[in-house]
Amino acid sequence: MFRFKIKKRQEPLVWSSCLVFLGALSLSLAVSAIMLALQNKPPLTAIVLLFNGAFGSLLAIQDCLIKAVPIFLCSLGVAVAFRLKIWNIGAEGQYALGAIGATWVALRFPDLPWFVVLPGMLAMAFIAGGLWGLIPAVLKLYMRANEIIVTLMFNYLAILLLDYLVYGPWKDPVSFGFPMTREFSTSAIVGKIGHTQLNWGIILCIFSGVAIWIFFKYTRLGYELKASGENINAARYAGLPYHRLVMLVLFLSGALAGWAGFLEASSTINRLQPGIVVGYGYTAIVVAWLARLNPISIGIASFLLAGLRVGLEHLQLDLQVPAAFGGIMEGLILLTVLAGSFFIDYRVSLGKKS
Amino acid sequence: MNLEFLIPLLAAAVQSGTPILYATLGEIFTEKSGILNLGVEGIMMVGALAAFVSAKFFGSPILAFLIGGCAGAFLAGIHGLVCLDFQGNQVVSGLALTILGVGLANYLGTPFIGQAAPGFSPMPLPVLSKIPILGPVFFDHDPLVYTAYLIPPAIWAFFRYTRWGMGMRAVGEYPRAASAAGLRATGYRWAGVLVGGYLVGFGGAYLSLAYTHLWTNGLSAGRGWIAIALVIFAFWHPGRAVIGAYLFGGVMALQLRLQASGTHIPSSLLLMLPYALTVIVLVLSSWKRQGTEVPSALGINIEPSE
Amino acid sequence: MRRAMFFWVFICVFAWGVALAADTPMKVGFVYVSPIGDAGWSYAHDQGRLGIEAMDGVTTSFVEDVPEGPDSERVMLNMARKNYTLIFATSYGYMDPMLKVAKQFPDIVFMHCSGFKTAKNMGNYFGRMYQARYLSGMVAGAMTKSKILGYVAAFPIPEVIRGINAFALGAQSVNSDVKVRVVWTKTWYDPATEKEAAKSLLDVGADVIAQHQDSPAPQEAAQEKGVYSVGYNSDMSKFAPKSHLCAPIWNWSSFYKEMVEKVRQGTWKSESIWYGLEYGIVDITPMGSMVPEAVQKRVLAKKAEIASGKAKVFVGPIKDQSGKLRIAKGAAADDQELLGMTWFVEGVAGTTQ
Repeated sequence: MFRFKIKKRQEPLVWSSCLVFLGALSLSLAVSAIMLALQNKPPLTAIVLLFNGAFGSLLAIQDCLIKAVPIFLCSLGVAVAFRLKIWNIGAEGQYALGAIGATWVALRFPDLPWFVVLPGMLAMAFIAGGLWGLIPAVLKLYMRANEIIVTLMFNYLAILLLDYLVYGPWKDPVSFGFPMTREFSTSAIVGKIGHTQLNWGIILCIFSGVAIWIFFKYTRLGYELKASGENINAARYAGLPYHRLVMLVLFLSGALAGWAGFLEASSTINRLQPGIVVGYGYTAIVVAWLARLNPISIGIASFLLAGLRVGLEHLQLDLQVPAAFGGIMEGLILLTVLAGSFFIDYRVSLGKKS
Repeated sequence: MNLEFLIPLLAAAVQSGTPILYATLGEIFTEKSGILNLGVEGIMMVGALAAFVSAKFFGSPILAFLIGGCAGAFLAGIHGLVCLDFQGNQVVSGLALTILGVGLANYLGTPFIGQAAPGFSPMPLPVLSKIPILGPVFFDHDPLVYTAYLIPPAIWAFFRYTRWGMGMRAVGEYPRAASAAGLRATGYRWAGVLVGGYLVGFGGAYLSLAYTHLWTNGLSAGRGWIAIALVIFAFWHPGRAVIGAYLFGGVMALQLRLQASGTHIPSSLLLMLPYALTVIVLVLSSWKRQGTEVPSALGINIEPSE
Repeated sequence: MRRAMFFWVFICVFAWGVALAADTPMKVGFVYVSPIGDAGWSYAHDQGRLGIEAMDGVTTSFVEDVPEGPDSERVMLNMARKNYTLIFATSYGYMDPMLKVAKQFPDIVFMHCSGFKTAKNMGNYFGRMYQARYLSGMVAGAMTKSKILGYVAAFPIPEVIRGINAFALGAQSVNSDVKVRVVWTKTWYDPATEKEAAKSLLDVGADVIAQHQDSPAPQEAAQEKGVYSVGYNSDMSKFAPKSHLCAPIWNWSSFYKEMVEKVRQGTWKSESIWYGLEYGIVDITPMGSMVPEAVQKRVLAKKAEIASGKAKVFVGPIKDQSGKLRIAKGAAADDQELLGMTWFVEGVAGTTQ
């Protein structure tokens, strides 16, 4: 009798992990292709179309980058909290609060010049999103309330608060009573870079990514965070300020998601409306873990996932594949990539049964 | 607050709490074995669709209900495969399962939208439904609500009194120690995933067979996420899950009834009630509690031995 | 010599291209806010799309379940980049993104449903659903015994508020002291919540349930309780044959055909189109057999009057919930007022927030 022998690798694979990733990807694409063939859609054309739609042209790549921005910021945020083993499921709500905070500034000071309004919006989104993250932290530390449930419930509360504002006090008087705020003045809109479709939000992403990377790699506080995350009890014995760390990470986590909300409201929609909340907060959790909480990998993963979603739209448009099929493909790809990453950490060999 | 307002409200609380209750109990079962499955929403959707389609083709709601459970267990099995055999991260796998399940159900379910299928109708229990107040609140529903009454004590007794139940708890708490004591940790976890998925599938089936008798896209509408929250709310105790699910269903029904009786509070603020109340009750009940009930190995994979 | 050859080659290629262009079918794109399987709003539009798909020389395509934010802008951009000739966007929130895209592609015709902004190459369109709602209100008003009508409504936006008001006015026109109670679900299709909302209305004494939702769940609730119901979007009688009185419905097909023809012949111009019963874009289903002959006749007579323009729905005096006179005696509300309606008429209980 033969059986598989599984052995943990001393060092996880580095470059070969790309191979693993590609293998997993082709497996899920093959399954999707079969499903497409079953409904009489040309499978090969579909996959080429998917790829071209996502990365095939400069315009497509720009589309993906724009779409990746909010996913990246939310994901970076939750990853900070996950480092300390704090389960922040609340990026969705923190994102909404960031958008609300930024909108407040934009609506309150429409006449100020951009170099006052935009930093104001940036700061307000940071604070609003951060505070929405801080409340669960305080409840966790001082009232012993589990953060998963509080952050999750805070998502619903934030979305309903946004609803309340746009259906009520902030409703645009000239939009015939539709649930949206006034359009922002030009000084409150994050502009586009040159002649591209991209906006300056990309720079904010790069800045945040680099800052977080440096924070964990080179600062004492970042080191303490990592250490506390790996072993909470040991960290406590070592006298690390666990309470302060929890509050810090949840604030930071919420603030980053808040920035994502600010950018979406300001640069792409130019106002606040209920349609701004589309589930980036949940996507962010998948991305963060898939990227193993590493800022650079998060960037790559957000871009690829955004690409997948953009490509799926092309699949819908050109081949009339239903939107739900996109969900199936995304789920399959995530699951196979996840299962495939087993081979990064473990070596499998065929051996005789002992 | 007179009885005429209160009794239908409480009855509605029980009914709208029931699908969430099934899902919460399923997730408790899974988490007790140490596996975190965030795919509840997807499993409910697939369960709902499978149940609806089977009811349509086989004409038997009872069979359809069981098939809904099987579909749930099947989908949960994917989670088991990824996490137990391939050591995948349980959070990602669960979230991916939600995306997959919702997509699968909406995709395969499109031809069945707008069709009718047989389901369960209210069946007042002979003597019990005549009891004042309690009767109409608890014993004037469809049979699946009564079934839901039986599961929490069963789960409680299983974990407390049976060898398997205690083994499963041990695996959820200290998998290494449990393995050392000769328990097949992976086997117990598989059981936790599949049985839990089966119950979550019931929750979905309840939506398409009893709560309504139809199928549309997005039928579970976020109830799976509520169930995940209620597991923690219940401190992993099936009895408290009952309270949580009915409370949540009740507040949801209450806000609709407040609107129906002509209040002038904006509907967005009224809709906040169930979520805000969940947080408040959680905070109040966790505040003075010593220790946590979370299975200590929850979400942590068992690494294969050399 | 060489130059001449280039010239001829160029001409040939050009002519070939022109010939091809004449042969290529007209591409029409649709953007939907929900899956077409929602059995309601997007489904009704998709039925219209299938109507033009059957036309000669037209191909259609759609993208469903598109969120109203930046995603919708990208979807429309991609349609424009892929040389679609005519693009329909069928949700309010697509208005601003469509305007942005329309500015970048002046040669493509854009049509936006339910908004108010236009551009040189962007028009908008909608149907006067409130006319059909008024008729369904007349039926409900004639059938109620408790004089309380329940209305399960999705989101407090003008379109829905207008429908509720028309429904209430219709009911009051046949039964003067009828009250309408409104419950907002804040969902377009969540059958379980919508059924629960209907039940809550039944518990406060409503004996006819109307709805502005996409799922037929409220119909089920009415049938289980043994009272009447009014559907929406399409004929929902198969879900509740015993209680379904009638339903105000959409019928987009002929409108979409007209637009395609106009664009093809080059007679399209940017305008705001708001068709009603006269065009058939909205209608009311045949009434159930439980509706007495006399009521049916009265409703159909009113339908003919509205269609011919003899009667209007919002004619004063109309007071709002607080008793304030909103539309003066004898005056009819103009389209601007109707588009931006954010108040309930007298006799409606509920909030518009």
